Amino acid sequence: MKKILAIAWKDTVIRFSSRTEWLFFIVLPVVFTLVINFGVGSAYGSDGDSRIPIFVVDQDGGELARDLIAALDSSETVRVKLTGAAEAERGFKEREAPAILVIPAGLDEAQAAGEAIDLQFTAAAGNTDAVAAQQAVQAALGAVGRSLQAAGIITAAAEEIRPFADDFARQAFYDAAKADAQSRFALRPEWIAVTTAAPAAAEEYAWTPAGQASAGQLITWVFIPLLAISEMFAYERQQGTLRRLVSAPIGKAAALLGTIVGQLATALVQMILIATVGTALFGLPWWREPAATLAMFAAFGLASVAFGTMLGTFVKTQAQAGGISLALGMSMAMLGGCWYPRELFPDIVQKITLALPTTWSMLGMNAILLRGQNLAEVLPVAGVLCGFAAAFFAVGLLRFRYE
Amino acid sequence: MKILRIAFKDLTVAFRDRTGLLLMLAAPVVLTFGMALVSGRMTGSSGPTLADIPVIVVNRDDGEIGQMLVEAFSSDALAGLLDVGILQDAAAARTEVDQNRAAAAVVVPAGFTEAIVGGQAPDVRIEVYANPEREVSAQVVTAVVESFVQQIELGRVSGQVAVEHMLAAGLIAPAQAQDIGMRVGAQAADVDSGATLRLVSTEDSVSAEVEFDPMSYFAPSMAIFFLMFTVSLGGKSLLDEKSTGTLGRLSSAPIGEAAILAGKMLGIYLTALAQMTILIAVNALVFGVTFGDGLAVFALVAALAAAATGWGILLAALARTPSQVTTMGSAMMLTFGVLGGNFVSITGMPEWFRWIARITPNAWGLDGFVALGLGDGLPQIAGTLAALLVMAALLFLASVWLLRRRGVLHG
Repeated sequence: MKKILAIAWKDTVIRFSSRTEWLFFIVLPVVFTLVINFGVGSAYGSDGDSRIPIFVVDQDGGELARDLIAALDSSETVRVKLTGAAEAERGFKEREAPAILVIPAGLDEAQAAGEAIDLQFTAAAGNTDAVAAQQAVQAALGAVGRSLQAAGIITAAAEEIRPFADDFARQAFYDAAKADAQSRFALRPEWIAVTTAAPAAAEEYAWTPAGQASAGQLITWVFIPLLAISEMFAYERQQGTLRRLVSAPIGKAAALLGTIVGQLATALVQMILIATVGTALFGLPWWREPAATLAMFAAFGLASVAFGTMLGTFVKTQAQAGGISLALGMSMAMLGGCWYPRELFPDIVQKITLALPTTWSMLGMNAILLRGQNLAEVLPVAGVLCGFAAAFFAVGLLRFRYE
Repeated sequence: MKILRIAFKDLTVAFRDRTGLLLMLAAPVVLTFGMALVSGRMTGSSGPTLADIPVIVVNRDDGEIGQMLVEAFSSDALAGLLDVGILQDAAAARTEVDQNRAAAAVVVPAGFTEAIVGGQAPDVRIEVYANPEREVSAQVVTAVVESFVQQIELGRVSGQVAVEHMLAAGLIAPAQAQDIGMRVGAQAADVDSGATLRLVSTEDSVSAEVEFDPMSYFAPSMAIFFLMFTVSLGGKSLLDEKSTGTLGRLSSAPIGEAAILAGKMLGIYLTALAQMTILIAVNALVFGVTFGDGLAVFALVAALAAAATGWGILLAALARTPSQVTTMGSAMMLTFGVLGGNFVSITGMPEWFRWIARITPNAWGLDGFVALGLGDGLPQIAGTLAALLVMAALLFLASVWLLRRRGVLHG
């Protein structure tokens, strides 16, 4: 045990002898979490209105267009930035809003003629706010359009029974039916109840971009330095210190275990710090179930450090290890859903990425943040991560060479 | 000539460094491949999208409407969007959501048809049990249910209004009312009857003729992110040469200080330019990314490499040792990456954030690539090019002043 602790301490000292390590250990994760959380959290909300802004270009200016804009602006999801086409294009390119809705000219005429009207909706690529905004616009169109649709169908049915005397009579019948339909739709009862699968306190565990960012950043910035443990092996191999271990009374397993224990302890401290920052600044429920959180942190840290250890047995030089760790760490974090929700990935990719420890780590962290799961509930995910750790460690042990 | 020799020597050294190549070329390609996977490019989709959302439907309604909802969810129109499972037990459906095997469970309660037809205030409602880990998917499922209910409501209200207005106008007799109400209602409730206001959606296409390729955002994002690594490596080489004494030897040769500095800068610039050009070519050839007008793309890459080189040289001017350049370079690469939108789009970020982002070549470069991807040409990105060149000039001037002041070039 003493030998293992001695190796652990030695590795920790080596790791933190570089200032770069402090940068990755705490400075960057906290800065990234702050910037992304603050950015996302305050996005759209600097004036107290946190609804997603969309540019609306009203090329028509008629009554129907005004109804539509009013319906959009009363939405809980989006708010209208009424502007000209050029300003909308500029603002869209400047990333002031994720979408543009263009209401074409001739809306009232098309409506009077009973023609369908196409409205152009432009969404920013890969932006989930744009997806939510599109749904809200669709709902507003439905709310405004259905009274028109009802009036059109009723008027056509009436005309089949007996043609109207003239256009004026037809329009009067249409307008009366539309107004009546509109008032009935306004009285519409709620037919749908949406509940969230978070039994403890649904509102507390509502999904937030800050939650996704905090968990994603935590995994990314703990995973990459833990993979960089491979740099330590390469460094020691280059320095010849690993060779010296051959003459010492210590086995391969103890040597590897010593390195793992040291790095795991450091990673746990790092995770606790990052999660505490998330809790203090953004009220994220990292510590509602402390045992579950700590178990997930330990399992994720173990899998990551074991992966870094295995990687260390493949690389030849310290520089090579650094490069591979960064590239592999970033790729695995992205594929694991740390940067974008995995639900946006194609189904086959969602299944393939289950082979990554980062995916299971994100699943576990989300279960804590979004579902308020306790220790017993997250244990299966933690178990999978421990399985990863065992497999990586076994490969590392098999391939471990002193020189 | 001497400047070119120094520059080509540095270019050769950079491209012979296998570890450097790993981060200069291999890492961005691997990450772009990852982006291509998650965005669906490798599986035939044009961009990040929702498809085959797993949803469980439980119909406990004995009437027509419950059955209609099941049919709507199982319809061909929604076949690509939803992956529907039918269960009889609501508790089992909720368990599927709890176990993260479904994005939502939709439960139609008993007596729902009766409540709708009667138009009574419901104590029975369709339940959408949403998975908080699949927020966007659950919203889509809710929107589908909402759309279905709206269609049913449209039928109900249309039937009622038709009867009342036709009776008032003397078009029908009371005996015909039920028949007419049912007929008009059924017609309105028919999803194929056609909405009056239709949404035509495009992604990132301000001009309707051009379809934006989302990979035109993701691929340059990764290339630009690792461009900052390359220029910091270049800056480090300057201090490496100082510490190993080769810079001192150069200054004792018949070559001016300005020529040495120009050669080193050109070396970093050419390496950055070569890296970006290779990555753009690989992205176009391997991933089929469309970047737009070739000449404008080259102009953008050239300006971007110049601005990035400015930052690389500034690092060398600010740091005292090569390892300091490495530390500062890592920080710059990552900070610029997040500020410039290389990881998460900065669309919708507060104005102050987008202002700060303007100090990074990353944000300007991405703006340029997005504009070109949208079909813009050289004239439209002239402002972006000018900004990058001004940034390069200012950084070069500041760096030269600092380097001379500290006497770095004297070895």
